[in-house]
Amino acid sequence: MIFPAEDFFADAPRPTPLFAAIASVSEANLWTSVNGWTAARVFTSVSQEYDTAKNAAALADLGPLTRYAVRGAQAPDYLGRLTTAPAASLHAGESARGLILDEEGYVIDLAEVSRLSDELFVLTLPSAHARRVALGARGLNVSADDISDQVAALGVFGPHTAGVLSAAGLKTASDVTAASGVLRGVETAARPIQYGAMPGVELIFPKAEALTIWERIIRRGAGAPIGLDALEILRLESGAPRPGVDFIAADRAAARGALRTPEELGLAHLAPLDRGWFNGRRGLRDKAGRPARRLISLSIDAETASPGAAVFCEGRPAGRLTSCAWSPARKRVIAFADIDAATRGRDYEISVSAPAEGRVPARRFETAESALARTFAGERGAVQALPTDFRR
Amino acid sequence: MIETVKDAQQSKSAGRIEGGIDAIVIGAGVDGLAAAAYLGKAGLRTVLIGAGKEIGGRIAAREIAPGVSGVDGEHLVTVLDPEVIADLDLYRHGLEYAARRLDTTYFFDSGDVLRFDGDLAQAALLSLDDDGDRETLEKFMGEVLEVAAFLRPAFTPAAFHSADAGHQRALEKALGAASPELAARIRQMLFSSADEVLRARFGDGPLRTLLLAEAAFRSAASPHEPFSFMSLVRRFAGEAAGLQGAAAYPAGGALSVVTALRRAAQLAKVDVRAATPVTSILIEGDRVAGVTLQDGGQLRAPIVVAAVDAAQTFLKMIGPASIDIELQRMLTARRAEISTARMQIVLKGVAQDDATRRNMMRRLFYAPAPELISAAFIDARAGRVPERLIVEAVFPTALDEGAALDKRQVMSVMAHPLPFDEKPDAARREEVRTAILDSIEMFAAGFSGRVEAEDLRLPSDEASATGASAAAYAARPDLLRQLAIANAVAGAGRINGLCFCGPEAQIGAGLSCASGRAAAKAALRAFRRSAP
Repeated sequence: MIFPAEDFFADAPRPTPLFAAIASVSEANLWTSVNGWTAARVFTSVSQEYDTAKNAAALADLGPLTRYAVRGAQAPDYLGRLTTAPAASLHAGESARGLILDEEGYVIDLAEVSRLSDELFVLTLPSAHARRVALGARGLNVSADDISDQVAALGVFGPHTAGVLSAAGLKTASDVTAASGVLRGVETAARPIQYGAMPGVELIFPKAEALTIWERIIRRGAGAPIGLDALEILRLESGAPRPGVDFIAADRAAARGALRTPEELGLAHLAPLDRGWFNGRRGLRDKAGRPARRLISLSIDAETASPGAAVFCEGRPAGRLTSCAWSPARKRVIAFADIDAATRGRDYEISVSAPAEGRVPARRFETAESALARTFAGERGAVQALPTDFRR
Repeated sequence: MIETVKDAQQSKSAGRIEGGIDAIVIGAGVDGLAAAAYLGKAGLRTVLIGAGKEIGGRIAAREIAPGVSGVDGEHLVTVLDPEVIADLDLYRHGLEYAARRLDTTYFFDSGDVLRFDGDLAQAALLSLDDDGDRETLEKFMGEVLEVAAFLRPAFTPAAFHSADAGHQRALEKALGAASPELAARIRQMLFSSADEVLRARFGDGPLRTLLLAEAAFRSAASPHEPFSFMSLVRRFAGEAAGLQGAAAYPAGGALSVVTALRRAAQLAKVDVRAATPVTSILIEGDRVAGVTLQDGGQLRAPIVVAAVDAAQTFLKMIGPASIDIELQRMLTARRAEISTARMQIVLKGVAQDDATRRNMMRRLFYAPAPELISAAFIDARAGRVPERLIVEAVFPTALDEGAALDKRQVMSVMAHPLPFDEKPDAARREEVRTAILDSIEMFAAGFSGRVEAEDLRLPSDEASATGASAAAYAARPDLLRQLAIANAVAGAGRINGLCFCGPEAQIGAGLSCASGRAAAKAALRAFRRSAP
């Protein structure tokens, strides 16, 4: 799951259930608002938090995301309709990513579905879609309740994730298996999640016990908090598009030119047409194999770049950057670029401002997400293989 | 007399899977019959299945009083699609008009009476003493008829359906093809309320009152709401017996349209099966595969045309789990509020004077004062039966020699606007009955004393007779919303091989068959695409 765009103009964002806990360890005291919830941008320093995620275990407050508890005999049908995630084929304890599409097959949002039992699922969305969630349930034997403000959610990413799970009393959980348990009388659950294509675990516990669990994990020294700025680097490295930044949700787009299909976002593997029925599949079927735009990951030979910068291919304008960040791993600026689908090739140029005014070279690189998309397309022989670069 | 088809097939089909069918049409109303006839004529092995025991849907003959037969459904033809008449050769199959070009007599609260020629282009030539009014009306009618004729394709179901382009964009494109002067006039008529357009032309005179009542008649949009003038334009875009904006009475009533369509379908070798309720439409992948019948049997075909209401088709027969949320929202977003009632009244005696006899050969229209119409819509929306109703009345026994009775007359009335009730109780029916009779008294004093029997027909009655949702027979919303709904349902949930021509596909009220034609043409295209 990915955080959506920040709402910079939000007035007095609400504290998440974990706010008191994470505020106590914030040195930078730098906050922003996501979905009207308070979210930390930086706790200590971006590079330190990034290193924690790469080498230890990073703890992210996932409170600003929206969660629904979905119950009922037709919950798999409902989730299979509302999202492209294969809810019906999930076993208890499994999670799957998907998308929410409109009737024409354009992407509204990302989604993640976890099956907790036969008739109980957790649906996590970057943003709230209360109306759509309610409308989709009409006529079906299912209920979908927003539990975002009732539970604390802590995302754990990194090689030492198991230590955090152990501290939380959930030794059997992993980034592929869900588990639940009781820690000092507090019910906790862990479920596998993905930050984009990066695997992780989400710990869920009651809002009232948020501080208890947090303290236990921190005292054990099992992990350190990570803010949005470091997560943004990890997101770009894993190649996960961010709603509101790299694409505009179909239900908020003011012009048809802003609408994007899963294929145009490099997420066709999250909405396969041979999966069961999902909302927008028939509209998507008519557009399959005919993308007008493409969202690609670029590695830029510059120390800085800005979203909105022009992208050129063979000297001709091809599109623009939508988001970018310095990647310590790649030692370059990495970015998402929204380009014309007709543009082919691996090498691009990016327009940059002073001090290195002019155009700097950029090259496509393979991410975990694009590798999944390529494998998906390759299996169907529809898309030409992308040059790969697995140096890092 | 309507033909009743015995359920000969049903017992055979129980639990059986029947193949070898090219197209299935669900719903034996006029649109279903038209669609089936088109498909049969094109050479497709077509099966038409209706839930009721009789073919014809809501249009059915029934004994409304001892020894007196009446026809439910529409009582006049105003928008019957001329292409359907020509393509299916309905005149050869028995469609005949007992009265064409019906003149209309308008009655006002003031006691004034105006008579309009059945040919609207001639409307100004009659009954208007004031030369100024006559000139204004002549000019106005010319303009409205021109706009109506230009926009006629827009009122054809599915004409503007496109997966990627909304109906508004398509309408804008159509406007781009008009001369600047005509486009400006269309824009003004499209976006304005009927009240704004008519007040600007006719001030507070009787012409404003009667045209306002015509615009409001059978529409759920009050004439003071935006886009409401288009209801009148849509009505004037239709034609009856070859004359634009006219009204005609078929010999035998609207049932003769059903009979002619039925004969066209039979000639096209359509297999017509009544009393065969469908429980579900089979979807395999993104394709339609046939239907499941209530007796457990299955009919399999690559093409299914649904000519029943959208709620039944998409929410019951297909199910919400298999349709897009956007389509479901479109179908359920707004609750029906306004309806029209039909009443057939048996009157004792015969007309005593020539004036009355002449009026009985016309369409009679009671146009309450604009403020009463406005109040009526407010009342109806609040669930109350208005005191005064707009009334359209004809005398089938006077218009149609074949329907004449000895020393009695049948008056067929449509009254509007009334609150929409899913299940009206006896008290509500009595309220409606009283309001209709009181409104008729406004232009036919002493009328109630001659009533021998009356038969009230509300949307819920039609729904229970046809097995449809009552809301399908409620008054239609404003034209832009109708276009949006028609555009959405015409897409049939993007299910390959499924076409839709239920009541929601039609723009405006009246017996049209245009959506049956449009669905059949779409079905033929789909069939050709799916053919190996």
